Amino acid sequence: MNFFLQVFGNPELYASTLAMATPLALAALGGTFSERTGVVNIAMEGIMLVGAFFGVMIAVLTHSSLLGLLAGMVAGIITSLALAWPAIRLQSDQVIIGMAINVFAGGLTAFLLNTVYGYNGTPTNTPFLPTITIPGLVKIPFLGQVIGQQNLLVYVMLILVVVGHYVLFHTNIGLQMRAVGEHPEAAATVGVSVVNIRYLGVSIGGMLSGMAGVYLSLGLLNGFDVNMTNGRGYIALAAMIFGKWTPFGSLLSSLLFGFAIALSISLQGYQVSANLVGMLPYVLTIVALTGIIGRSRAPLADGIPYEPSK
Amino acid sequence: MKKWKNVALAMTTLVTVSSMMMVSGPVMAKTQAHKAASHKMVSHANFKVGLVTDTGGLNDHSFNHLAYVGLLAAKKKYGISVSVVQSQQTSDYVPNLSTYAQSGYNMVIAVGYLMDSAVQKVAKEYPKTKFFIIDDAITGHPNVMSAIYETQQAGYLVGVMAGLMNLQKHVKQINGKNVVGMVGGVDIPPVESYMAGFQAGVKKVDPKATVLIDWANSFTDPGLGKEDALSLISRGADIVFPVAGATGTGVIEAAKQKNVFAVGVDANQNYLAPKNVMTSAMKGVDVSTEIAIGDALTNHFKGGVQYFDLKNKGVGYAAPIAAVPKAIDAKVKSFIPLIISGKIKPPSLLSAH
Repeated sequence: MNFFLQVFGNPELYASTLAMATPLALAALGGTFSERTGVVNIAMEGIMLVGAFFGVMIAVLTHSSLLGLLAGMVAGIITSLALAWPAIRLQSDQVIIGMAINVFAGGLTAFLLNTVYGYNGTPTNTPFLPTITIPGLVKIPFLGQVIGQQNLLVYVMLILVVVGHYVLFHTNIGLQMRAVGEHPEAAATVGVSVVNIRYLGVSIGGMLSGMAGVYLSLGLLNGFDVNMTNGRGYIALAAMIFGKWTPFGSLLSSLLFGFAIALSISLQGYQVSANLVGMLPYVLTIVALTGIIGRSRAPLADGIPYEPSK
Repeated sequence: MKKWKNVALAMTTLVTVSSMMMVSGPVMAKTQAHKAASHKMVSHANFKVGLVTDTGGLNDHSFNHLAYVGLLAAKKKYGISVSVVQSQQTSDYVPNLSTYAQSGYNMVIAVGYLMDSAVQKVAKEYPKTKFFIIDDAITGHPNVMSAIYETQQAGYLVGVMAGLMNLQKHVKQINGKNVVGMVGGVDIPPVESYMAGFQAGVKKVDPKATVLIDWANSFTDPGLGKEDALSLISRGADIVFPVAGATGTGVIEAAKQKNVFAVGVDANQNYLAPKNVMTSAMKGVDVSTEIAIGDALTNHFKGGVQYFDLKNKGVGYAAPIAAVPKAIDAKVKSFIPLIISGKIKPPSLLSAH
């Protein structure tokens, strides 16, 4: 009993959950926008890396972490256009393009890191995104330690999930997006521009994946490292599917993944085998996928190029 | 199904192209070597040395980086031609090693214990190429020299320093809870020996201390490393010691944010957070790489294991920052002759507590 209290009663467990879930939730939310308009986005991993690198680079050049954040988001949008253009205009296979972007981004950022900063890595005085203290909330015992004092982007992420839900399900543009993702021909016949809506969806995805990358390099950490995303883009993809292509679902499943990672960290303090708890995030995924959420259905036109002539 | 076949094809093509781009390095390295050689009496520009990093890459602030430093030093000293390829994943080890051997490189350097079986396999196929592997003990191949570092000795010394610091009363970073923590990358011998030494060193001077251990199960995830360290700090640790490659940079980041002490590893990492990284346990991967290349050039290369320890200055620790009192550093130094003479034998296996 004491053991459970020590593990589950430590606010650090939940603070860590939130910190680990944030990059997943941001990218998964972005992926939701992209796939809701019908473009499969497996390039999140690569876009995150590009965002993480350019965030650091611009932050160092301008001495401003907020400009770094902005640059990371813009770099994310530009990279996502490398997915959008062939996927939408050339009707290429979206999975292949996405994979190509991931491999390319890994090589590009490693090359730029070594060329611009050398092997000692990015400067140690890189400005970083501030940790925000919410007055009042931080004084509440336990809860305050969990969410009273977190990085700026953690709060931004929580707000964006709510905004994302509102836009997708309660606005005209959201309806157009979902229509294009389910049945582009029908959307086109009522005058919706399938091409423009898809560009918009993919760009939003790129912007949010870029932001997720900046969170890693300027929020959680303070500098760029080769391949620092470590597969988080793919976990975000799973979180998006797991969350049934909805903003709140993406957030909840990201929190579940984050919790599994945080729990596997804190359980080690109590003589539980490191190898055993290392499996926890994956076991939880399988359990949850088979038992809890039931069938997860993708938007009907997800991954299918739209050919106006047909 | 067809879709996945295409994906596989695209990936293979990309990986091939990108690794070809990486191997194209020698051209550049050669011209630079020529420049360096022009100052020297003897040029060895025909002697080609290839370095294969493990997945940590040259930016790990740690042993891959140090091997590269040693390679560059050898290039400057002997005017040899050098080239580097960074492994993206463990399945790259064999192709990267064989590419160098196949294209006539005289010597191939493999960084890390994780390349053990890859080196054994490739060395058998290319008996004329000399191989040098770091952190591993390969015997029975006349063309493989391997370097073992007695890192438990370095770990022990910084452990003694951590134990003494932990007992300090008026240092802002020390909380008086008498807890220190370690973050291991993956549970393999070269990592465990550092940690076992550290654990024993702390206990030697501070027997009541609690030494917490977390395993990140990754050498390449600084984000995870930070959360690991934050967890240790929340359980009272005020000195954290990462032995985890690039994952460790996240541990140092956590120490900086929470203003506790950290101990660097492999290279002198004090610069990563000059107020918080109080010292670094070091192993001379750079020096031994340079020595091995020199041996190969002068026909002194011999297969088998070379040991690097405190005695031959193959391991040690970085000069501590100002926050560490001079008396503590002196006390730590007093352990060096005891270890060299064998009066104290730091363990290389962690003890369960």
